Amino acid sequence: MKALVLPILVPLSTAALLMLAPPRPLLQRWISLVGSILLLVSAIVIFVRVEAAGVQVLHVGGWAAPFGITIVADLLSAMLVVAVGVVGVAVTGVAFAGVDPRREAFGYHPLMQILLMGVAGAFLTGDLFNLYVWFEVMLVASFVLMALHRTGEQVEAAFKYVTINLVASSIFLTALGLLYGAAGTLNMADLARIWPTLRTPGTDAVLAVLFLIAFSIKAGLFPLFFWLPASYHTPPAAIGAAFAGLLTKVGVYALVRTFTLLFPDARVELFALLLAMSAATMAIGLVAAMSERDFRRILSFNLVGHIGYTTVSLALLTPAALAGAIFYVLHHIVVITNLFLVSGVLLRLRRTTDMARLGGLYRSQPLFAGLAMIPLFSLAGVPPLSGFLGKLAILNGTFAAGAYWLGGLVLAVGLLTLLSMARTWADGFWRPAGDARDMMAPGTPLLVAIAALSVVTLAMTIWAEPLFDLTSRSAEQLLRRDEYVRAVLGEGP
Amino acid sequence: MLVYLILSPFAVAVFAAWLLQRHPNRAGILAAWPAVVALVLANELRLTGEGGARLVELPWAPSLGLSLSFNLDGLGLLFATIITTVGALVVLYASRYLAGHPQAGRFYASLFAFMGAMLGVALSDNLLTLFVFWELTGFTSFLLIGFDHERDEARAAAIQALIVTGAGGLALLAAGVLLLDVSGTTSLSAMAANRASIAAHPFYGAIAALVLLAAFTKSAQVPFHFWLPNAMAAPTPVSAYLHSATMVKAGVYLIARMTPALGGTAAWTAAVTAAGAATMLLGAYRSVQETDMKRILAYSTVSALGVLTMLLGIGTREAVVAALVYLVAHAGYKGALFLVAGAIDHETGTRDVTVLGGLRRAMPRTALAGGAAALSMAGLPLTLGFVAKDGAYEALLHGGGWGPWLLAATVLASVLLGLAGLLAGVLPFLGRGRPEDAEVHEPGWPLWVPPFVLAGAGVLAGLVPSLLNGTLSSAAASILGAPVDLRLAVWHGLTPALTLSVLTLAGVVAAYGLRRTIASRTWKPATGTERLYAAGLAGLDRVSRAIGPSLHSASLRSYVMVIVVASILAGGSALVGTRGFAVSVPVTVVGVHELLVLLVILAGALGTIIARSTMAAVLSLGAVGYGVATMFLFFGAPDLAMTQFSVETLTVLIYVLVFRHFRGLGTLSPRLVRLRDAFIAIGIGTLIGGLVLSVATTDTAPRLREYFVEFGPTLGHGRNIVNVILVDFRAFDTLAEITVLATAAIGVRALLRLASDRTEGEPAHLPTSSIFRTAARHLMPLLLLFSIFLLLRGHNEPGGGFVGGLVAAAAFSLYGIAYGLEHARRALLVRPLTLLGAGLLVALASGFPAILRAQPFLTAQWLLDPVAIGTPTLFDVGVYLVVTGVVLMMVFNLAEES
Amino acid sequence: MEVLLAVASGMLYAAGIYLMLRRRLAQLIIGLGLLSNGTNLLIFTAGGLTRARPPVVPDGSDTLVPPYADPVPQALVLTAIVIGFGLLAFSLVLAHRVHAISGSDDVDDVGRAG
Repeated sequence: MKALVLPILVPLSTAALLMLAPPRPLLQRWISLVGSILLLVSAIVIFVRVEAAGVQVLHVGGWAAPFGITIVADLLSAMLVVAVGVVGVAVTGVAFAGVDPRREAFGYHPLMQILLMGVAGAFLTGDLFNLYVWFEVMLVASFVLMALHRTGEQVEAAFKYVTINLVASSIFLTALGLLYGAAGTLNMADLARIWPTLRTPGTDAVLAVLFLIAFSIKAGLFPLFFWLPASYHTPPAAIGAAFAGLLTKVGVYALVRTFTLLFPDARVELFALLLAMSAATMAIGLVAAMSERDFRRILSFNLVGHIGYTTVSLALLTPAALAGAIFYVLHHIVVITNLFLVSGVLLRLRRTTDMARLGGLYRSQPLFAGLAMIPLFSLAGVPPLSGFLGKLAILNGTFAAGAYWLGGLVLAVGLLTLLSMARTWADGFWRPAGDARDMMAPGTPLLVAIAALSVVTLAMTIWAEPLFDLTSRSAEQLLRRDEYVRAVLGEGP
Repeated sequence: MLVYLILSPFAVAVFAAWLLQRHPNRAGILAAWPAVVALVLANELRLTGEGGARLVELPWAPSLGLSLSFNLDGLGLLFATIITTVGALVVLYASRYLAGHPQAGRFYASLFAFMGAMLGVALSDNLLTLFVFWELTGFTSFLLIGFDHERDEARAAAIQALIVTGAGGLALLAAGVLLLDVSGTTSLSAMAANRASIAAHPFYGAIAALVLLAAFTKSAQVPFHFWLPNAMAAPTPVSAYLHSATMVKAGVYLIARMTPALGGTAAWTAAVTAAGAATMLLGAYRSVQETDMKRILAYSTVSALGVLTMLLGIGTREAVVAALVYLVAHAGYKGALFLVAGAIDHETGTRDVTVLGGLRRAMPRTALAGGAAALSMAGLPLTLGFVAKDGAYEALLHGGGWGPWLLAATVLASVLLGLAGLLAGVLPFLGRGRPEDAEVHEPGWPLWVPPFVLAGAGVLAGLVPSLLNGTLSSAAASILGAPVDLRLAVWHGLTPALTLSVLTLAGVVAAYGLRRTIASRTWKPATGTERLYAAGLAGLDRVSRAIGPSLHSASLRSYVMVIVVASILAGGSALVGTRGFAVSVPVTVVGVHELLVLLVILAGALGTIIARSTMAAVLSLGAVGYGVATMFLFFGAPDLAMTQFSVETLTVLIYVLVFRHFRGLGTLSPRLVRLRDAFIAIGIGTLIGGLVLSVATTDTAPRLREYFVEFGPTLGHGRNIVNVILVDFRAFDTLAEITVLATAAIGVRALLRLASDRTEGEPAHLPTSSIFRTAARHLMPLLLLFSIFLLLRGHNEPGGGFVGGLVAAAAFSLYGIAYGLEHARRALLVRPLTLLGAGLLVALASGFPAILRAQPFLTAQWLLDPVAIGTPTLFDVGVYLVVTGVVLMMVFNLAEES
Repeated sequence: MEVLLAVASGMLYAAGIYLMLRRRLAQLIIGLGLLSNGTNLLIFTAGGLTRARPPVVPDGSDTLVPPYADPVPQALVLTAIVIGFGLLAFSLVLAHRVHAISGSDDVDDVGRAG
């Protein structure tokens, strides 16, 4: 399918145009928004095709796999790219509410497009080295977006973020180099065939562990997640929204892809390790969220904790659990992006997301409060919202796999999330404002984006059945492998 | 149709929010809808008595086990009718109680959402869907308890109710998923049919415990009862509706509903009966110690819920029927008493029974409602309360082994409850009033009609209890799983139960006389679980505060260390688990020149560590880089060597420009720390070294390289295979790579500009000699030409766009050093940023011709005559432009920064 | 030779990590540089070593007789070098900003409050 490359080309072209276009804010915002909309449209086109006709493949440059680079869209990739489009439209749309003029002058819009391109590339590529390159595209864009600050705290947070992610990249690259040396190929479908035939049992075990560590850092798993809570509370809301919605999900995606395609037959210890890390991530993330007094930091820890939900299910490697994990990832992308946009409104209203300076918003901003309630309590897993459905799917998966203690942990963590969000609501919206006053209007573009994402959440709730059907099919596709491998390599041996 | 009727309150919730916005005084008309629904449901209930249950269904997410299937059986419809009837009265009441409240719209929205959720609980046949509605009742009650949200205790009580019932809810969810596992269905009616296999399953105990945990938390059974009195922070209509008539009965309902599937075992009977009895006693005891009318009623509600639970636990036919009568009676009199309390509060501003009095003259209709309700609660004959209590005694008299004890406890509790009813419903109207209440008058009709109706219904049903025969028969049949033919009557003859009822009434009268003594002499048992709840939250916060900062505010070094140590441990243990990797050390000849370069690399690495000045460290790093480049050259990689040399030079230059600002490198860590770090470093080095060795000594499959070497010259039209890979076979990598480069340059520029507040292109003069200037002027065009030469030959010989771009950038940099940066910028004609964008576009554009010919993006198109020129060449031009732009952007900005 | 280059890669990793564990900002960045070099050398070595036969098909011939150096790791390393350069340059300037803002070159002072 020729259009498979569009989710990568559209943002890249948009970014290049933005660099060449005159630096007039309004023009730049429009170009960026149109680019994001086109990205979303192309993603939907691809999704429709994949849904109807199975795994789609494009051999870039016309070079057949495993020699050239192949772009592959299975259901998982296609759904995630649609999510990239949704997040992209939301975060570029809110630029109309205003962007720090200095950021805008120094490349805010092209950087955002490059970020989207990197994420889309990572979701679509069928080549492990190419995945590394997209990781770097996404990272460097996030580095710059994060570092465009003037205050000490923010720059220092960015420095932590950059350093730790560079270490992760080094580990990934190291594993890649060794992998090529051992297997002689980089194409993932090809690797899926060759990997089991490797006769270096020690090396492949270590390599799998290195990939696990590299991707776990990106995904934000304990004990490797420090970069996230150390930095996510500092950038402006739109950037935080894009990061929170997409970046860790790329790590999760990489874990899902490699664990289903390359290592499904790996030794049980590897899965036990992933399981243990995920369980610890859930528990520690949510416990840590309890004492935080900054809305964005609370979100950061919730984000970390919920990543554990998805990787726990991955570690079980059953269709039901995996389907739940995919459902949860899709729900979470929309909701956490939305909540960071909510934090953007808070920043406009009170210049801070410190809970001590919030409060009174239920009275002063009823419309905003009503809108914010949907993502807040969807994240908390209040039925019937999508967060609950995702949790239920994961619960079904863990129980069906006989992992009752994990199911119990998922429930306990769910209760902590509920507490965390209820407190946030009570302190941020219900509590009297004290002497805090709203400094300016919430900003119509932000409210529109929050409303739109809330509508997406509600749609995911109402049409849970078709969506869950999709994620179930996606999980089966991932676990079957052969459809993916055959689509890439053709009907060979 | 009925499905939509059941879900209709959610729509009304939205409508209510809109209506109150437009017409703040029209809230009363909202009461019409639940009244209509109540009539329809009551009719359904009547039909059920004749025809049996029926199921209506709307699929939602069946794969997740969720569907909106509703079972219209006697039990469900009985609850649903109570929910809508009381709902209509409460809405009517609230329309006056909250008249003019600025946030009334939200109140009605939450209230109707709650009503919808409650209907869902009562009628769902799907256990997971029941859970959904169950949690929704918890969530909407969170909003309603916290309605008066600017008061601290309202918010705290809202969160407490949400968490306590939420924890129970999660238990219900777990039970639901387990039951799905065990019975293969989420349908309650199917489970009931399957009861034998469920009871025999090893999970039966866990499932029953989880279901009961959910029921006990929701229905405020000991030891989870504490949240209910605290929830009195809610507005009174909410207390009347949620906390007496409906939501708190959801737990009791759940026990009744699950009895066919789970009940009947000894453990179930014992647990439910014991919890109910304990709750009954504790609630009754605590109710008479309170002085706030609402708290009296709250504790008495706790007690009544205990009675219901106990009766369901006993589970005999008589007990179940008694429970149902008690339930209906309680919904009537307790709802009425709450509404009366609210009316008094509304008129006098207080609910303290020790100061209130004499209100019968000012508020006669309210007094009548309160008195009738209180007497029903005390169990006066000819009220439904009497019938209920009589039935309970009757059931307990035949209740088996524990019967006598339970009977004694129930009598005691009934006496205390009777007193509580009188305290709340009669005492405020008797005696002498406060002087400040002289102006008090009867409230508007919406405030006295609803309690009047509720209390009156209790009296009517007490006079003619046979009215309830049909409905309660079918409800009891749902629980017992067998047809029940109920004959309620006022007079059963002189039975032992009647004696007990008379005794109870005498007790109530005596207790009323001694009420002051009882209130002053009583001992208040500590509620341990509430402290447990508080301590649990505090403990959670303490743990959180202890670990939180270390997760985001510790030193960067410690984070790096955790990652490295984790890699060593995980990687090492993977090796141990597989008994090491195969390493064969081939004996090969090592050239002296190779050894020398290797020594340079090692010395450089060592140098970076022992260096005490930043410059020395940078130069050591440079030595490493050049050494590696030379190694590349030795082992057949001229392109790599060339790139590494130029990149290393540029890197060192940037290091030097930045490190000017840094101080020396004197060590800051104590010896022991350095030793530890060295240990870690050697660990990772060993792991990596071993891995390299194990991989490098195995033969790499030649498939890829043979393909590239074979088709590079023929299909790729290039003899330099590395370059063909970069611009053709794997050009997609390169496209992303130059994007990284461009982005990094934008970042460097932005960081430096943001720091210095300068605009582009301010002069920065560097002193240079005229000879150098002349040289530079002549050298620049030559260098540019050379760069283009490198670019073009790259496809066949070492070279290419990347190295070409570096040379071009060097040309402009040289010019800049000679003439000043502003001249160099001018000589460049365009901004470096434009160069970046143009380069990216050119590289992109080289991929598009293929699309016109319906080939995949980036498929090479060649023009072979007169020279081989193709889109890969164009691609390399894009690389060239980007690299030139990137380097110049970095160099210009860094140089200008000084 | 593989042994020696394996040792060299290991050494570069060890030195790089050791420097990243030091408290001087400058040492951290130098450590990143070493790590980058070490990784490049690792990819190169892991792909197999062949002396002095670059993967360039001679003019006039359309094939290359083995042994010749594997061009794939070379292409990968080239990409990695360029990406590594971009990231290193950016982190250097970022470190510079951190230093300028905090006035300290002690890593332990970075982000303590944040």
